Amino acid sequence: MITGKLVIEQILNGLVLGCMYASVASGLTLIWGTMKMINFAHGEFYMLGGYVMYFAIVSFGIPPLYSIFLAVVIVFAMGIVIEKICLHPLLDKPDWDISAFVATLGVGIFFQNFALRVWGERFKSVPYFLEGTLDVFGFRMAYQRIFIFAVTAGVMGGFWLYLKKARFGLGLRATAQDRDAATILGINAKKIYTITFGMSCALASLAAVLLAPIFLINPWMGSVPLIKGFITVVLGGLGSFGGAILGGILLGVVESISVIVFSSEWKDVVAFIILILVLWIRPSGLFGTKEW
Amino acid sequence: MAEAGAPTSCGSGMLKMNNIEVAYLNVIRVLHGVSLSVDDGQVVALLGANGAGKSTTLKAISGLLSSEEGEVTGGSIEWNGERIDNRSAEEIGKLGVIQALEGRRVFEHLNTEENLLVGAYQRRDCGAVKADLDMVYQYFPRLKEMRRSTAGYLSGGEQQMLVVGRAIMASPKLLMLDEPSLGLAPKVVETIFQVLVDINKKDVTILLIEQNAQMALQVAHRGYVMETGKMSLEGKAEDVAQNEQIKKTYLGL
Amino acid sequence: MADKRESWIGFGQKLKLKSDHGFLIGTILLAVFPIFIRDAYFLHIMIMALVFSVLAASWNLIVGYIGIFSFGHHAFFGIGGYVSALLAMKAGISPWFGLIIGGIVAALLSFVIGLPCLRLRAAPYIAIATLAFAEISRMTCLNLVDLTRGEMGLWGIPHFPDIILPGIGVISFAGGVRIPYYYLILIIFVVTMTIFHFGLHSHIGLAFRSIRDSQDASESLGVSITYYKLLAFMTGGFFAGVAGGFYAHYLLIMTPTSVLSIGIMIDIVVMTLVGGLGTFLGPVLGAFLVVLGLEYLRVLEEYRFIAYGILLVVMILFVPSGIGKKLFREKQLVD
Repeated sequence: MITGKLVIEQILNGLVLGCMYASVASGLTLIWGTMKMINFAHGEFYMLGGYVMYFAIVSFGIPPLYSIFLAVVIVFAMGIVIEKICLHPLLDKPDWDISAFVATLGVGIFFQNFALRVWGERFKSVPYFLEGTLDVFGFRMAYQRIFIFAVTAGVMGGFWLYLKKARFGLGLRATAQDRDAATILGINAKKIYTITFGMSCALASLAAVLLAPIFLINPWMGSVPLIKGFITVVLGGLGSFGGAILGGILLGVVESISVIVFSSEWKDVVAFIILILVLWIRPSGLFGTKEW
Repeated sequence: MAEAGAPTSCGSGMLKMNNIEVAYLNVIRVLHGVSLSVDDGQVVALLGANGAGKSTTLKAISGLLSSEEGEVTGGSIEWNGERIDNRSAEEIGKLGVIQALEGRRVFEHLNTEENLLVGAYQRRDCGAVKADLDMVYQYFPRLKEMRRSTAGYLSGGEQQMLVVGRAIMASPKLLMLDEPSLGLAPKVVETIFQVLVDINKKDVTILLIEQNAQMALQVAHRGYVMETGKMSLEGKAEDVAQNEQIKKTYLGL
Repeated sequence: MADKRESWIGFGQKLKLKSDHGFLIGTILLAVFPIFIRDAYFLHIMIMALVFSVLAASWNLIVGYIGIFSFGHHAFFGIGGYVSALLAMKAGISPWFGLIIGGIVAALLSFVIGLPCLRLRAAPYIAIATLAFAEISRMTCLNLVDLTRGEMGLWGIPHFPDIILPGIGVISFAGGVRIPYYYLILIIFVVTMTIFHFGLHSHIGLAFRSIRDSQDASESLGVSITYYKLLAFMTGGFFAGVAGGFYAHYLLIMTPTSVLSIGIMIDIVVMTLVGGLGTFLGPVLGAFLVVLGLEYLRVLEEYRFIAYGILLVVMILFVPSGIGKKLFREKQLVD
């Protein structure tokens, strides 16, 4: 029976899911917009964030808030290292889009199998870091989920502001739009790329750590976020940070609602059909520029 | 009409190109031994027909050849005695050698003021940056009117003013311009050249590529003429302007 | 002309065989070696290499020659396989026909997938759209449990029935023999490559390459973009479907994960890029290198795939610009 209550609960679930999609997608779109490449290992950085979180909380007993911080920072650093080793040398060579794709593919395969080999195939779980629920107009919202929503909103909003107003954000956007014109003004494009890549990985990691208690930690956990991330990026418009955020929320909500109508095993099909429809009707997505 | 002031000789810098050879894709030689010098505080005009290699010369100085699969295969470029032909583009930019690229390359999705602020990206002297921003707005009041407009939607003339203004925001020691007057209305061209003369008086050395030879030679101290990758003429601006060949080819006289 | 360049095999352009000679020599070698080497496991590896050669070559047709970055090619493979298997199991249709029907269904599917992709130009959009179709295919096979048994998959798919060849007698595909399967896939491979060869050397190939290099210029010259794109798509899809049908009646087991997962697509991409995108024999070379290479890496046991990942990165860093040609056009402005 489809009740209003059921719908609203699903919307709330969808918002939480949407936070994850938004965070993952914003990282992808950031890299696409700046470096003009697809990071095929994005899902693996998500996965690494989850594992760092797991080890921090479960193995080392570090309090959740610090663990979150640790996971984000460590994955940020890993992103920088990977960029310097695997992508930096390819930057000015021809066929950049292909070579970057292959390089990140290799990195992704490496990390996924590394995790499998070193940490095993058993799914691991991270305990909820906030117990209890809040009563909102008769709906029970777990504090955990409110936390997810609040942190994501804060980080996304802060990031968006940073991109718009801060000096680095300005330099990043300028480099993304015209690398040569930016470079001759003394802007170090390569340094911007490295940091941007790190930030993108950090965003993926954030998504994983926030949702760690809800999903289980395993070596393959990055595959679905990667694909959903791509769908979100297309929905929101390639290269648009705001589009990634809104697209993510939208996708999460629509997916969750569709579970009511179709059964849950078809929900991914729904997501893909939406994607194809968007590509057919409005390929540039919600906020994309007319470059499709 | 704006006229060049007497060249000063304090501290903006000296550029020397010695016998530069540039090739693209390892096979297409574009510059065959080009030599050029720009002294402190001068305005130097670089003239020539399309395809002569003028833009390539500026790109070589700015370090932009590698992004087009070109490279300096011979000779050297010196800035204040230091070699810069092997340096990266951003290092050269940081030295104060700033170029306003041809084609009015504004940052399309940023607004006018953001474009100008990007020009000052490397600078740490916030107060002076603010002062320079005001100065640019005084030079180009139109830009102040359009300060919040997205740069991609500005008209050709406004975009060119923005590009020049952005370069000025970088506090350049040597300002290089690639065809600033191309496709612009005479009034706009006048404004821009007036600004160039003005900042030159403030000790900014200028190297200017122009199709509009007349205008360029009026503001310049010295001039070069380039033909198929080689220098064919050089001298004081007045002398170049009086040269019979030049008069026929570029000035339509 | 461009033809000369496409004769080079990729892989850093270090090998420089003319592809026509290379193809003939290779085919002869492939046809002859089972006389000397009869190890069933090795034959299985070679069969897999040939299956992937067809897959990679048909993908290369779409991506390397006409420039549509499809990321859902594996859907044609899997659908071709499922169609052929189901027809044999439920409707009693001979696998010989099933193979072709599977290919045709795959071609029709590629028409359906191709239509919305026609308007898209930037590679990421086409990639995600085609991937979406592939995932829809996979999930459909997964969810229609009554028909496909879902993740449990199809077991006991009928093998090819005996055929009688004049002069040789009865050829049986029963009992896990490899040789008949090997020669069957070799024939499929040779037919595929031959058709590609003649197609690409005709006006069709010229049209493909001009579209890849500049869609706008081709259009203004009156080249029907729609026709050629769909032609490339459907041809590639057909042969991938046939390969899938073969695979079904060879392995006799099929699950959505085994034939429709994105891992297959990644394999195809890696093979083609390693061998040389947009070259004639590159994908084949890449398929053999990767299949055989992964087997050789088995000595590393659990570290096999970790090494695979590292090798990919090392390859792309050190093999100079020659991997693939600049195939992704700059982002186009809206029509």
